[in-house]
Amino acid sequence: MDKPPPLRADSDQAASPAASPAARGRRPEFTDDPMLDRLYSVTLALVAELAVTRARLDTVERLLARRSVVGAEEIEAYRPADAEEVEARSRLHAEYLERMFREFTPVTRGDTPR
Amino acid sequence: MERYTDPMAHPSPWTDIGRHDLLPAASHDEIARFDVIAQLNTLLAARLAPAVRASFEGRVSPAWAARHGHEPRDRQEVAEAMSSDPAWRSWSLVRRNTMEMRQQAGRSLVARQATALRDRAQALNEGAATLQLDPSLPVPRYVSAVDTHLMRGGYTAEQIEGDVSNPANYDAGFFATVGGMAGPWNDAAGRALAAWLQREHPDFQPQRIADLGCGLGHNTLPLRHAFPQAQIVAVDVAAPFLRYGHARARSLGIDDIEFRQQDATATSLPDASCDLVFTTMVLHETSAEALPRILAECKRLLRPGGLAIHLEQPPYRRFPPFEQFMRDWDGRWNNEPFWTSLHEMDLTERMARAGFRPGEIFETECRAPALVAADGRAEDFGRSPVWYAVGAWQTADETAAAIG
Repeated sequence: MDKPPPLRADSDQAASPAASPAARGRRPEFTDDPMLDRLYSVTLALVAELAVTRARLDTVERLLARRSVVGAEEIEAYRPADAEEVEARSRLHAEYLERMFREFTPVTRGDTPR
Repeated sequence: MERYTDPMAHPSPWTDIGRHDLLPAASHDEIARFDVIAQLNTLLAARLAPAVRASFEGRVSPAWAARHGHEPRDRQEVAEAMSSDPAWRSWSLVRRNTMEMRQQAGRSLVARQATALRDRAQALNEGAATLQLDPSLPVPRYVSAVDTHLMRGGYTAEQIEGDVSNPANYDAGFFATVGGMAGPWNDAAGRALAAWLQREHPDFQPQRIADLGCGLGHNTLPLRHAFPQAQIVAVDVAAPFLRYGHARARSLGIDDIEFRQQDATATSLPDASCDLVFTTMVLHETSAEALPRILAECKRLLRPGGLAIHLEQPPYRRFPPFEQFMRDWDGRWNNEPFWTSLHEMDLTERMARAGFRPGEIFETECRAPALVAADGRAEDFGRSPVWYAVGAWQTADETAAAIG
């Protein structure tokens, strides 16, 4: 029996437009605004992918614990070791929120505040 | 605590799926995607659908009654009343998107290994007389024109020569869609039928069995286990599903089921040649034109004392208008164009029109027995999926009249 192709950590290479075109037939709209339907689609995909990421993180943590590399207690007890780690974590959150709320931040458009 | 008493609260992980040589390989994240789909479907059933009902009963129905002087009287009035209800819209959006994501998850999974899967199917099918394909067979329009339950290309699509990727997607994704509720082999309908026959008619020992619209044969195989002496013919119009199903059966050690590419309205089987002719979740994917012809074909195939039986979802007439409305969702929003008509139909009356004697026609319920794992651990598959079934026995004089 031939071996299946090697698997990569993320399998996004397979989620190409060719691999996942829409089904034939009109796509239903359930709200009065097509943009809102589209927003639901993106949000639900985000929901699913975050769940996938959490599952992967859970796997990594369990494997680390199983091999006594890093246990759950050590993760829970983690505190920034120094000012650099504090700043790094803060930057992580700030950058993330910046991406999430880019449409809410007037300066990014150079527009007058909404 | 409620969460732990609700059997739907914990869908089976995809890793519990039955292994065979055609099952596509899945990475950690691909498995996680399937598991999320199963969880979303659980959420839809356990949390969002009850919210829709609460909205209907608490706000929508009383408002309708205040305007019209009565509560919504039928499915259509419920649909009109609910069309702008936020709970229904949200449930629908999550449901539709979950269906789409399930298709994307399955397609992306099989796309990267389509050639390997095809080669494995070819190796298993090589030279087997039990796989009979007919490229000249016309594909009925109700199959070719529809991406049934959002399956791109439908049952017959082929991306490459000898393709089996759509059935591989179907097999892998079905388990996720139902959260393993149909068992590791996705075969609960077949097991339900076999169990019903063995319980209700223990003396019935069919010598020849025909499964019409067999798909990838997942519901055919339980009949092989139940009736080891029977000759079994599985018929479908979709070559990819027959290739995959034949190879899958072989990989599971079953090499004596004939998979034939034929139309269920006109098989090549002789008159009065079968003791059992059945379909599982097939009739709702046919058409108003094909349905009576399939029922008549079953009649033609049966010997005296033979049984025709069809497993489906129950007809709408058994439910109050709100539940009819919810059950009708797939017809309109999940590419199941014949769904509504089929469930509004009285199949017993259609069986009579096909020539079966009214006294021999019956409706029943087929329930899949719970499974126990090889290691004795009670598997969480025992959620007893139940099907509505309509059947009819062939009497001796009828056969004579039909053939004569």
